[in-house]
Amino acid sequence: MHQKTPEIYSVELSGTKDIVKTDKGDGKEKYRGLKNNCLELKKKNHKEEFQKELHLDDHKLSNRELEEKYGTDIIMGLSSTRAAELLARDGPNSLTPPKQTPEIVKFLKQMVGGFSILLWVGAFLCWIAYGIQYSSDKSASLNNVYLGCVLGLVVILTGIFAYYQEAKSTNIMSSFNKMIPQQALVIRDSEKKTIPSEQLVVGDIVEVKGGDQIPADIRVLSSQGCRVDNSSLTGESEPQPRSSEFTHENPLETKNICFYSTTCLEASTSPVGTVTGMVINTGDRTIIGHIASLASGVGNEKTPIAIEIEHFVHIVAGVAVSIGILFFIIAVSLKYQVLDSIIFLIGIIVANVPEGLLATVTVTLSLTAKRMAKKNCLVKNLEAVETLGSTSIICSDKTGTLTQNRMTVAHLWFDNQIFVADTSEDHSNQVFDQSSRTWASLSKIITLCNRAEFKPGQENVPIMKKAVIGDASETALLKFSEVILGDVMEIRKRNRKVAEIPFNSTNKFQLSIHETDDPHGKRFLMVMKGAPERILEKCSTIMINGEEHPLDKSTAKTFHTAYMELGGLGERVLGFCHLYLPADEFPETYSFDIDAMNFPTSNLCFVGLLSMIDPPRSTVPDAVTKCRSAGIKVIMVTGDHPITAKAIAKSVGIISANSETVEDIAHRLNIAVEQVNKRDAKAAVVTGMELKDMSSEQLDEILANYQEIVFARTSPQQKLIIVEGCQRQDAVVAVTGDGVNDSPALKKADIGIAMGIAGSDAAKNAADMVLLDDNFASIVTGVEEGRLIFDNLKKTIAYTLTKNIAELCPFLIYIIVGLPLPIGTITILFIDLGTDIIPSIALAYEKAESDIMNRKPRHKNKDRLVNQPLAVYSYLHIGLMQALGAFLVYFTVYAQEGFLPRTLINLRVEWEKDYVNDLEDSYGQEWTRYQREYLEWTGYTAFFVGILVQQIADLIIRKTRRNSIFQQGLFRNKVIWVGITSQIIIGLILSYGLGSVTALSFTMLRAQYWFVAVPHAILIWAYDEVRKLFIRLYPGSWWDKNMYY
Amino acid sequence: MRRQLRSRRAPSFPYSYRYRLDDPDEANQNYLADEEEEAEEEARVTVVPKSEEEEEEEEKGEEEEEEKEEEEGQGQPTGNAWWQKLQIMSEYLWDPERRMFLARTGQSWRVMIRPFAHSLNFNFNVSEPDTWQHYVISLNGFLQGYNDSLQEEMNVDCPPGQYFIQDGNEDEDKKACQFKRSFLKNCSGLEDPTFGYSTGQPCILLKMNRIVGFRPELGDPVKVSCKVQRGDENDIRSISYYPESASFDLRYYPYYGKLTHVNYTSPLVAMHFTDVVKNQAVPVQCQLKGKGVINDVINDRFVGRVIFTLNIET
Repeated sequence: MHQKTPEIYSVELSGTKDIVKTDKGDGKEKYRGLKNNCLELKKKNHKEEFQKELHLDDHKLSNRELEEKYGTDIIMGLSSTRAAELLARDGPNSLTPPKQTPEIVKFLKQMVGGFSILLWVGAFLCWIAYGIQYSSDKSASLNNVYLGCVLGLVVILTGIFAYYQEAKSTNIMSSFNKMIPQQALVIRDSEKKTIPSEQLVVGDIVEVKGGDQIPADIRVLSSQGCRVDNSSLTGESEPQPRSSEFTHENPLETKNICFYSTTCLEASTSPVGTVTGMVINTGDRTIIGHIASLASGVGNEKTPIAIEIEHFVHIVAGVAVSIGILFFIIAVSLKYQVLDSIIFLIGIIVANVPEGLLATVTVTLSLTAKRMAKKNCLVKNLEAVETLGSTSIICSDKTGTLTQNRMTVAHLWFDNQIFVADTSEDHSNQVFDQSSRTWASLSKIITLCNRAEFKPGQENVPIMKKAVIGDASETALLKFSEVILGDVMEIRKRNRKVAEIPFNSTNKFQLSIHETDDPHGKRFLMVMKGAPERILEKCSTIMINGEEHPLDKSTAKTFHTAYMELGGLGERVLGFCHLYLPADEFPETYSFDIDAMNFPTSNLCFVGLLSMIDPPRSTVPDAVTKCRSAGIKVIMVTGDHPITAKAIAKSVGIISANSETVEDIAHRLNIAVEQVNKRDAKAAVVTGMELKDMSSEQLDEILANYQEIVFARTSPQQKLIIVEGCQRQDAVVAVTGDGVNDSPALKKADIGIAMGIAGSDAAKNAADMVLLDDNFASIVTGVEEGRLIFDNLKKTIAYTLTKNIAELCPFLIYIIVGLPLPIGTITILFIDLGTDIIPSIALAYEKAESDIMNRKPRHKNKDRLVNQPLAVYSYLHIGLMQALGAFLVYFTVYAQEGFLPRTLINLRVEWEKDYVNDLEDSYGQEWTRYQREYLEWTGYTAFFVGILVQQIADLIIRKTRRNSIFQQGLFRNKVIWVGITSQIIIGLILSYGLGSVTALSFTMLRAQYWFVAVPHAILIWAYDEVRKLFIRLYPGSWWDKNMYY
Repeated sequence: MRRQLRSRRAPSFPYSYRYRLDDPDEANQNYLADEEEEAEEEARVTVVPKSEEEEEEEEKGEEEEEEKEEEEGQGQPTGNAWWQKLQIMSEYLWDPERRMFLARTGQSWRVMIRPFAHSLNFNFNVSEPDTWQHYVISLNGFLQGYNDSLQEEMNVDCPPGQYFIQDGNEDEDKKACQFKRSFLKNCSGLEDPTFGYSTGQPCILLKMNRIVGFRPELGDPVKVSCKVQRGDENDIRSISYYPESASFDLRYYPYYGKLTHVNYTSPLVAMHFTDVVKNQAVPVQCQLKGKGVINDVINDRFVGRVIFTLNIET
């Protein structure tokens, strides 16, 4: 890299508009990765097509050869018949969407995922049980059929819900399709025709105007002042000129090829810049088509939260199935009928499966997504909400993400001094010394030697936001001068332009001659700007403090120092000079002839340098610092040049002020790069070329060893490799980007974040999240929300799991001890899908317990959502307490009705006999079957109420995991109270409103039974407070390790 | 009455007491306290949904009462009126006088028959004793406690037509009224040890499910009457009831629970189907009739009635 640096350096130094030409050194390699990848990807299906792409040499061919190759005529165009043939052969000029899973398959997938399969088993067992009952007794009760239907309904409803949520996230290909310009102007049968661009075929001659999108990959035949914006494809912010010349071996570097979907910029010249070209590739065979297939070829990674939920589902399903089978065996060996045992099995499954949880998680995530959307983070894939929280590496694109994607004047050099210009978004604060007369001259040159103009009709738009006709650097200069000097157009009017030589790559300067508004003498002023070394060559004097001084060696040296310094900042430097033409030689009537050059272009007066950069967004440095303190590594991955990349990285803090790269150390110690101890360097700048030669082990080493890394000159494929490298480090990787070239990496990343304003549609669609305000700082908000939601999901799950034991115990005890069934399966569903839903969602509104932005991101394999302490504490501590409390209510009700607990033991068989209608209780009273059934339902209701009351306590204790509830504030989260109220109201409605609907098996419970479990609830709260107290008192102790979830 | 029952319960039912002591949870104390507060409440509350008509009727009754009370309370300050409303409200929730919860009464006659018959189908062939012998055994066994000698020894002969109320200490043993097997005459099994089954004239005994503290309404005692449930009215032709009044006398009420009312003997009414149509299934519905007796609840077919089928083959 060290050896390469000077060459790249020269790229920057050589000035304004010729980067492509001087880029030979690395340009060839720039897209190799992409090509290789295309090869891999297309190997199976599109081998021939790819061969063609590899051997793309159309840029080398002459017009004649092209005509031959494509059987077309540059003047006449294709014949319609030939075009139709080609269209039939090659297909329409559009990108084929990737094979989509049919909607019905997606829907069915939701029906069998997660707990669904368990519930289906339950439902089918219900129906089978009914079938068996029915075959032996025609009057068998339909209860089992109802239960089976309810279970099926639960699965279908949650499935529909999940499907709906998934369907909302859009598909990547739709975006690529959207980029296609609707119409194209094509010459066919020697007539100009407007046809839909889908119908373009290879060999068509098309005309593209400024402002249009390029309709296909085209070989430029002729062009007028055309520039294309390739930034979405390559990450270069500068517009690339396009002409018919063959300038580069690499088809991606040469000037005479325009790429599908890039934009032809509006030129400042009139008539508007146009390009005539021959279509050489259409549809999927275009470069963008290759990137598109690259992006869609990347499988969507499972999000960390999806993995966590899967893990959780496995745990719960494991528990459910093993307990179910265990008790099935126990029941059978206790001589229960197999049919009964099956019904127990169903009960156990239903009790164990938190039916409402997955829906709750979805709602919770979408609530957070909504909250984030308010903060300008639009979340497309719900699960991505959490992913950002567990992100440990952010790979950020530079252009448009970290930077404003707009050239801006950053430094000035005049009077032997470097001045800093304000590069913030509004330029409001220009503090450099404007009193010097040199500045007066310089500002005049900047104003006059500039062809950019504001578009009309923008009087009320702030200067920095005005649209400009002109290229990026001229725009930068125009806005810069407008901010400082005021009305530039007025100044230009007063200094009428009499002659002009526009910039071209051979001259490397731009020159114009103006009348002046100088009252002292009617002299012409010649102003010139261009590549600094070229400008300096033409100068013999230099202006210092308004005085002209001869340009000697020492001044030339200071010039070079300044030039190198600014260049080293990754900035594009322009030199400015002027000359007042003597009035006697050039009288007012003098006619300037730009072709004859009848005016001097040497011995000018050098005035100063201006350097421009695409400056970082002002919010970025702060956001990077915050990410750092949150333990997130920020890596820059850009297609731009290493020097620029490094400069921006330094200015935003991706490379911190005091850290050095190996090259920096070598430079400082003045030794060879090889001699530097690599461990001394904290930062690294790696280019695409170096990356290409690296094995994945070497990449891993770099990723692991350096804290601050910048990848420059990377291709889309290499971005993918980098993301994969990070993922090999077990990191959760976020990728931010805006260009088409970022879309494969965005897709590959655990979470892709696209820019909403600057971002291309492809990037937005490949991404999981869109930053609507393009503000990198929004990522910090996202991280915070993501971490919070992870914590809160833990709480929700702990809350939900707790009651499972209280729902399960009744069945176990029913089987073993033979009590009348304490709670029915339907009643359980009413808890899981009724009373508990709103409270568990309410936990999503809980505030963070401590500063979550100061801790490290969770390790995706170690910090699980559902870990052992959580399961143990929920199931065996609170869950068992809750079961006890609920049984207390149950026994109370039965005792008050006449059945003392001892009587109940092994009463089950007699109890359930339909023909026993005078069963004696503890007091000698006699009960009919229906009375008993009614009492059983009252028991269900009592048990339900017992769980409900204790779930309120459970909800309150789950507000925090470590802090005391009183530290957290009992009333800070109002939604919790909404949850509690809803719980009680739903409970009341079920008991008193639906108490007479026998199918639901609820009864009107006497009011005092609601309070039986209250002391138990208080006990639960107290118990949990003690747990939290010990966790806080003895961090790191056995208690902390086993009781903190 | 409730008080009687509870203080009784503790000493005579050590296990229930132990259950409470064993449970270390404070909630249980609360549970006890709860009970204490409910001094007026009954140990036994069965909540039986009634048909809508009845409910409406009762609600109307309530409303009328309310109106009356409001009229009375008009002269008083408003605060008092509010208090009254509150009382009405709480009475609606739980009326200790009438033992009603949400205007539903928990007290109603529930009856059951003897002998046991699977699904309450009496299928037997007169000429095959094996098919009816188990009914006879069942009845004999059931009536052992009603033997005259035993009744005379254990129980008192109390005056008919009125409640046999025994105030006094709660945990005191209560006396029980005699119900002698001989009351059942032809169905007592004394003259005909096969209870008529051998002649195709089966006896079926009707007994009321015991409810602690239950008192039938005063006035004419509740009567039993049976008829064909569906089909030809004349399939039964004639039924003899024993005792001849076909009623449950008030003296057997109230029941004080098996802890103190050890020798309580449930009153019976025997139904002697002397001339039932043979060789076909005859659905019989025996209903209780009297003031305040509900006998048409759909969900619970044992409230105030019992339905069974007789299928006697010859």
